[in-house]
Parts: sequence; structure tokens; C-alpha cells
Amino acid sequence: MTSVVLEDVRKSFGSLEVIKGVDLTIEAGEFCVFVGPSGCGKSTLLRIISGLETSTSGKILIGGKDVTQAEPSQRGIAMVFQSYALYPHLTVGENIGFGLSLARRPKAEIAEKVKQTADILQLSHLLDRKPKALSGGQRQRVAIGRAIIRNPQVFLFDEPLSNLDASLRSQMRLELTELHAKLGATMIYVTHDQVEAMTMADKIVVLNGGKIEQIGSPMTLYNEPATPFVAGFIGSPKMNLFEGEVAEKEGCKTYGIRPEHITLSESEGKWRGTVRHIERLGADTVVFLDVERLPSLVARTDGDRPLSFGQTLFASPVQGKEHRF
Amino acid sequence: MNRRQLYTGITALLACGVIFVLPFLFIFITAAKTKQDAASLTFSLPREWHLWQNFMEVVQTRNYMLLLAYFNSTVITVVAVTLLVLFGAMVGYVLQRRPSRWNAVIYGAVLAGLMIPPAVVPTIWVLQSLGLFKTISGMILIQVAYGLAFTVLLFRSFIATIPRDLDEAAIIDGAKPLQIFFRVVLPLLKPVTVTVIVVQSIAIFNDFTNPLYYLPGRENVTVQLTLYNFQGQFQTQFNLLFMNILLVTIPPLIVFVFFNRQIVAGMTAGAVKG
Repeated sequence: MTSVVLEDVRKSFGSLEVIKGVDLTIEAGEFCVFVGPSGCGKSTLLRIISGLETSTSGKILIGGKDVTQAEPSQRGIAMVFQSYALYPHLTVGENIGFGLSLARRPKAEIAEKVKQTADILQLSHLLDRKPKALSGGQRQRVAIGRAIIRNPQVFLFDEPLSNLDASLRSQMRLELTELHAKLGATMIYVTHDQVEAMTMADKIVVLNGGKIEQIGSPMTLYNEPATPFVAGFIGSPKMNLFEGEVAEKEGCKTYGIRPEHITLSESEGKWRGTVRHIERLGADTVVFLDVERLPSLVARTDGDRPLSFGQTLFASPVQGKEHRF
Repeated sequence: MNRRQLYTGITALLACGVIFVLPFLFIFITAAKTKQDAASLTFSLPREWHLWQNFMEVVQTRNYMLLLAYFNSTVITVVAVTLLVLFGAMVGYVLQRRPSRWNAVIYGAVLAGLMIPPAVVPTIWVLQSLGLFKTISGMILIQVAYGLAFTVLLFRSFIATIPRDLDEAAIIDGAKPLQIFFRVVLPLLKPVTVTVIVVQSIAIFNDFTNPLYYLPGRENVTVQLTLYNFQGQFQTQFNLLFMNILLVTIPPLIVFVFFNRQIVAGMTAGAVKG
């Protein structure tokens, strides 16, 4: 069980600073998710932890040992790439055992470990196939197998599910969570998908513009976002955020209310609006309202509530669920 | 297929036949003629088929010179192409993957290798001062030097299509730079390697002028130079000359026929991102 500690890590590409001083402690055995919009530096931060990029300044400690200058292979980490990065000319078995064969381990030992790993990931029947003969989910499992076999102290995942279709993605989310429970290793996971972040993480790190916006458990970030950015980023549909006159009236700079914390009524309410757009999701319905002096108001309501375009509705925030920044 | 396509196809086939097949047929039938019959250089069937006699005579001429030439040419071709593949892939890999200040200089040198025509006499001076003139190893180095620029460019553009993630995955797996190259990158270069092998081996095996300049001497003869055995200032034995041409043409032809498909794959693979 190994912790990962980042101390004032900075990274610049030429004159452009992309990581602007990150301090972070990831406890041993924790499933930590880096989440943020494209270009916020989350992948760069992961690559710095892996050793594929060097930090411009700052310190990286894995298991209490300073690895800032260490080679990737000496950091006790394994990484799963977005593109899987399987070696196309090798079979599944050879792909999984590649690291061991590089380390010149005896063939019998490699075969034994490959078999054990393949059993964990249900890949035993595919060991002689080449990657091109596998489906997306199977390829992803091979990539994970290649990571597991090295028995790393820390697993790094760089958007590993973004190439999969929606149903496979939710299945792999479950598998990864179970794998984490089984191995008990520290895992760091990068994604731009907040559903993945919310469902898998023990701890979420929200990054924005190369800086940490907030660190916390999924529900902490949902219930107590520290900044409007976190409030808007976590939750789907995203939180309604209002500035200017509306916010001033509420005594703050930015006023936020989540769509699921808005009640709709035909007769009375805080805001009067007309229905501009309706999204039926089955269990829920998302309603977009045009409200005077507000940019747009999104509310979530029951799936089978009868609604029509142009209908006049009154919306009110649920008491105690409002956010003022 | 409509009528127009049919006629275009037939015309194209006929044109190809005239350009490619007829000359080969001419070589073949002339190689089977007697000396007098061949001297007229007409496109007619031989009056007497002398294929075997001509073949034996060509092989035995000047104490089996053709066999020695085959041996020399094969050694030069195999060693030069091996070095070309190895160095071309290595230089291409470094140029593509490791940006540094030197890249522009190296790239400039590669382009200079393509653009600046080789000068024969200074090259001979260099070879003489190195003690490599009139040696097979000198000839191999010349062929490598002449072919390297093109090979590097071909490999470089192909390596650009191999995802960098593969290198990084190997680094994470604990591979050293040489292991990344030999165990991950080189096996993936197979299509372009086949292209380089075919294109360069045919060019080197068929090379006439370079061995003529840099490899004089009876014991250093290469296949193309054996053609001079039957060609003199006053007299040419066309039947034997054409038999010699036929024998010299066959090995590259076999290489080409076998690897034809992969060549096209390798030539176009680097061109468009797939």
C-alpha cells in the first residue's frame, strides 16, 4: 500500500505554464480521480507522476520515496493508456508478459503469471490472439492485464474508457471498481467524464487551468462545491449559475441552483418562464425555461409529467439547496 | 463494366504488353538463337533452339566468371541492404521521435544526400586513402551511402504513423531505448522494410556504373559487368549477351513478383494517416 504525494509540482512547456503549483496527497489504497475540462493539465499531471514527463519544479513522492528524477520503470507504477497501446505484433499473452520478458524473467515464471493475470480478467481463452482480433472491451482488459502483472504499487489510468461505447463503459466502470477492491492498490484515474469520476472515486481532484479547484469525496463536491467552476462541472445537467443582478439580490457574486433542486408549478413560484425545450430521458425530464432577466433556467422533473412547448411554468428553488459564491 | 471501360482496359493491357512483355520476349528468343541467327537482331523465332548450349557457354565463359559475379553481387546486395534497413530505421526513428537541435542538421544532411550528385573521382580518393578502393566492403559502403537518404525518409514518414503511446507503454514496462527500438518499433516497420529491401536490392543488384567506377579488377566482377564479356568494339555475340541479360534479370524479377503487394502497402502507408 503506497501513498502518492505531490509537492508544489509545476510544469512549463517553453513559456507556457500548464501546471501551476499542485500540492496533493493521495492516501495508500485510494481511488483518486483527476477530472477537469480539456486542456486543464490533468493528463500532464498524470504523465508527470508516471515519469513520462519531467516536472519543471516540485517534488513527487511515491511510498515516501522521492522519485522526481527516477525513471518510469523504477517508480513502481503501471499505466493504462487511452489508446490501450497494445503491441500489435505480439499476442495477448506476449503483450501481458512483455514487461517480465524485458526483465529477462524465466519463461515458466512468465507463463505462470500471464495465466494468473488472464484468469483475473477472464482473458484465458484469448491468449494466442493478436490485439486486432479483439473487441474494444477485451483490448482494454489486456491493457489492464499488462499493468496488473507487474504488481505495481500505483496504477495510473489515462482516460481508459473514453474509446468504449456507453454500455461497455458502464460495465468496465464496475469491473475497475471491483478490481480496485480486489487489489487494494492506489489508483489514479484521469477522466473528463464526471459520471466516471462520481461513480468510481474515493477522492476527486477537480483541476482547472493547471490548478486544483477542489479536492473531496464525490458527494462533498456535489453538495458543497467550493467554487462556481466545481459547481458547474459536477452534476448533470449542470447547475444553473447566475451572476449580476440576480446574484446581487441573493447577496452573492454567483448564485447557483441545481436542476434537480428546482420545483415546477403551473400556478406560482419564484421565477415565471416559458418552456423552450424538453428532453425526455425516461426516468426524468429536463426542461429548459426562458425566464425574464435570466440567461436560461434548466430544471429536472418527473419523467412522465405532461409538458408542452411555450407553456408557462413557475420555478422555485428548494430551500437549503441553493449555493451562493 | 461498360463498353468504354472494356476498350480502355484492353488498350491499356496491350500498351503494357508492348512496353513490358515484348522486350522480355525479344531477349528470350534471341537468347535461344545461334550466333549467326542472333546477329540479324530480328524479332523472329530461332531456326534452331540453342537455349541450353548458350546457357552453358555463358556460365563457363572466362572460367565461370558469371558464378563469381553472382556471388559478389549477392554479398554486396545482402550486406548493403541489411545495413540500409538497420541504419535507415534507426536514423528515421531518432529523427521522428527525439526532437533536438541536431535534427535540422541531420535532416539537412539527409536531403543533401538526395540532392547533391555523387562525384566519382573524389570518392575514389577517399576510398583509396581508407584502403577500401577495389574491395567488396568499399563497394558495400558506397551502396549504403547512396541509398541511405531515401531509406531514412521512407522510414521516418512510416514511423510517424506508429503511435507514440507504444513507445511510452514500453518505457513504463521497463524497456531501455534499444529494447524499444528492436522489440517494439522495428517489428512494426515490416511493410516499409519489405519496400526498402525490394527497391534497394533491385537497384544494388542491377547497378552497373558504381561497380564499374569503384570496383575494378577481374576478381571483383559483379553481374552487370559480365555483360561486357560478350560485347566488344568490333564484334558482339548477341545470343550470349541476351542469355546473360536473361540470367541477370531473373533474380530481381523473382524478388519483385513475390513482394509486389507489400511494396505498394509500404510505399503508401506513410503517405496518408490511416
